[in-house]
This record gives sequence, C-alpha cells and structure tokens, in this order.
Amino acid sequence: MVSSSSPVVNVYPLANYTFGTKEPKMEKDTSVADRLARMKVNYMKEGMRTSVEAILLVQEHNHPHILLLQIGNTFCKLPGGRLKPGENEIEGLKRKLCSKLAVNSPSFPPNWQVGDCVAVWWRPNFETVMYPYCPPHITKPKECKKLFIVHLSEREYFAVPRNLKLLAVPLFELYDNVQRYGPVISTIPQQLSRFQFNMVSS
Amino acid sequence: MGLEMEVMSEAAPAAAREHGLDIYPLTRYYFGARDAAAGVPRGLETAADRALRLKANFAAHGLRTSVHGVLLVELFDHPHLLLLQVRNSSFLLPGGRLRPGEEEVQGLKRKLSSKLSFVDDDQAIEEEDDWQIGECIGMWWRSEFEAIPFPYMPPSFRAPKECIKLFLIRLPMSRQFIVPRNMKLLAVPLSQIHGNAQVYGPIISGIPNLLSKFSFNVISD
Repeated sequence: MVSSSSPVVNVYPLANYTFGTKEPKMEKDTSVADRLARMKVNYMKEGMRTSVEAILLVQEHNHPHILLLQIGNTFCKLPGGRLKPGENEIEGLKRKLCSKLAVNSPSFPPNWQVGDCVAVWWRPNFETVMYPYCPPHITKPKECKKLFIVHLSEREYFAVPRNLKLLAVPLFELYDNVQRYGPVISTIPQQLSRFQFNMVSS
Repeated sequence: MGLEMEVMSEAAPAAAREHGLDIYPLTRYYFGARDAAAGVPRGLETAADRALRLKANFAAHGLRTSVHGVLLVELFDHPHLLLLQVRNSSFLLPGGRLRPGEEEVQGLKRKLSSKLSFVDDDQAIEEEDDWQIGECIGMWWRSEFEAIPFPYMPPSFRAPKECIKLFLIRLPMSRQFIVPRNMKLLAVPLSQIHGNAQVYGPIISGIPNLLSKFSFNVISD
C-alpha cells in the first residue's frame, strides 16, 4: 500500500555513472590516535566539531546501494568532512563533495542536490564511540556529525582521488554489519527505510 | 555527456529540515488501568494458531500492514520511549494491524486508542480520541511471517508478507493513558534501547537511530 506520507527518491542504475580519477587526497591523520589528538587541538581552538556526510544512492538489481570511499584495504567512509567554523551545513557538504568526488573544472560546476538530514551522531568524549543522541549529562559534546541524503541526477561524472576507491555497497550488506562498517554506516538502511525508492532502470 | 544536470525537484524544502519535537516531562501524564480488551488474548493464542491466522489473512487480503506509534516523554533530561510490556517479557510499541482498505493515520489512531485509552477496538469512535500523528520515521518488511524483519524490501521476486510502519506521535502537554490490565506501560530511556536488540528486538532497538535527526525541545514549567 503506497502512502502519501513516504517521500520518493529516484535511484538510477550504477551503470549511468562514470568514474574517473584525479590527484590523490591523502588523509590528514595516519592513525586513530593521531586523529583524536588533532580533534582535541581543534576543539580547543574552535569548539565542537560539526561534520557533514553524504548518502549517495544508486541501484543494482533493483536494490539500493550507497557510494562509499575506501581507504587502503578495509576502512570505508562516506564522502564528507568537517565544517569550517561558522560554515553553513549545506554549503559545507557541497564543498566536501566537490573536493572528494567532482572534476576540478571551472566550466562544469557540479550541481549537488542536498536533501533531508537523515541522522545525527554525537561524540561525547575524545574517543571513537558515537551515539545517535546526546547522552544524558553530556553538556559539551566534542563532535556532531550529520548525514544528508544527496539526490543524484540521472547521469553524473565523478572524479575520485587516485588513492581512494569508490564502492557501491548494497543496503543488505550494510544492515547489522557493525564489525565491517561501524555503527554510523551500518544503521543507514534503517534511517533510509521511510523513503520509497523509485528504481529507475536503464 | 557533460555535467549538465536538470534541476531536480527533490531538493528538500527548508521546512523539511526543521526536525523539532516538543516533549513533556513524564510527570505531566497520568496512568491508569482497565480490564483487558475483548478478542483473542495474546497469551492464549498458540504460535501455530497465529501462523494459520496470518496465512489466511494474507490469502484473503494481501500484504499485512501494521502501524505503530513512537511516543516520547522526558525524564532525567533524556528522552524516554513509551513501551507496552506483555507478561513481563515481550515489549511492544502501541499499534497493530490495519483493516483491509483502512487508511494509515485512521488505523493508527484507532489502535492507539484501543491500547492506551478507554475506547474498545470494536466500538465506533464517534468522539475520536485526539492523537497527533506525525511523520513516518521508518518501515520494516518481512518476506515470511516468521522471518525477521528488514529495513528494506525483500528481493523483487518475492512479494513481502508484512510491512511495519513506525510513526512519530506528538503528545499534548498532558493526557491520561489507560492501559489494559494484562499489559504494563513503561517509559524506557533511549540510551537503554539503543543497540539492545537482544532485549527489545531489531525494530524497537533501532528507534534511537530513527529519532536521531530530531532535536527534542523539552517543555517543562
């Protein structure tokens, strides 16, 4: 039974998208400890970190897939990153998407269609653990991470930094798979479940 | 094949990004009990009976849709979810199955009144209990009635047997909850539910994830 309350998202075949490469974009930190240390330094200077990440959907075999960037052999992350102090969330997300996925060409500025925020995660301490709510008695969270659905048009050209791999991972592979993808990515299937996906075929 | 892209009409309007929810302290609400609802009590129907009943319904009416309400209150500065507990073991969200052809919001109001108010499920509701049904926050699908639910539709060649929809309920600043005597109504903190599929099952334990985008505005005096 189709309800008018379910927003519709058009999802196009993976084959509609072309993936080229561009110059490498190295990670700023080489280890988790480094990353947390740098987070601490930034917190002292600028206060709570706000990061924004994009959920980009494609379809294969009529099942939704999410685009993930793989670093090295195992670690996967969503395209996105930290906002500059005072930067608008949507503008910042577009900036990050351009940096990670767009061709660096002034004559073809990409037109990212940022949709709903689907999830917010909070980091209470300078540790790796995050929660989908600000835990009670935490008045000074260290990071707030927001996930947005970004609507892709029917065809796009992506340029991926040479040191990263872009994967299309099906929702059924992410669901409940905390060990492989972590708590944020493995819960995306639930957060997308309220949408009605219109699987457009080629 | 350039980068010309049509302007999509799917970009969310600014209003859709406003995800605020007013919640009130638990102390604003009153809890009472009434005699158990008529009809087949959950405790007496065997698993085999239930399987037969669901199969017969599917043959007659197709996809079984159930609707459930997510009701939130504040306690100790943290949002709490209202859950029904049956026989000191299974936890349920208030809600239930839609009748064939019944509209979702209508059905959910009927079920909420049936589980949480004086109104009996079979009675015609002349003076409709005033529930404010908010947006759908998640959907789960079962490919078989005994199978575990998933937050996406099963592979296209298999017709789903059941769809479970969760709706956010905006509670007024005060109201009375009257619960059948065979059930308990509990307020459980999100921090206890999160990731706790062992105790609450995948649907209830996933609710904090579905609520994360909302900013809770606690209204106390």
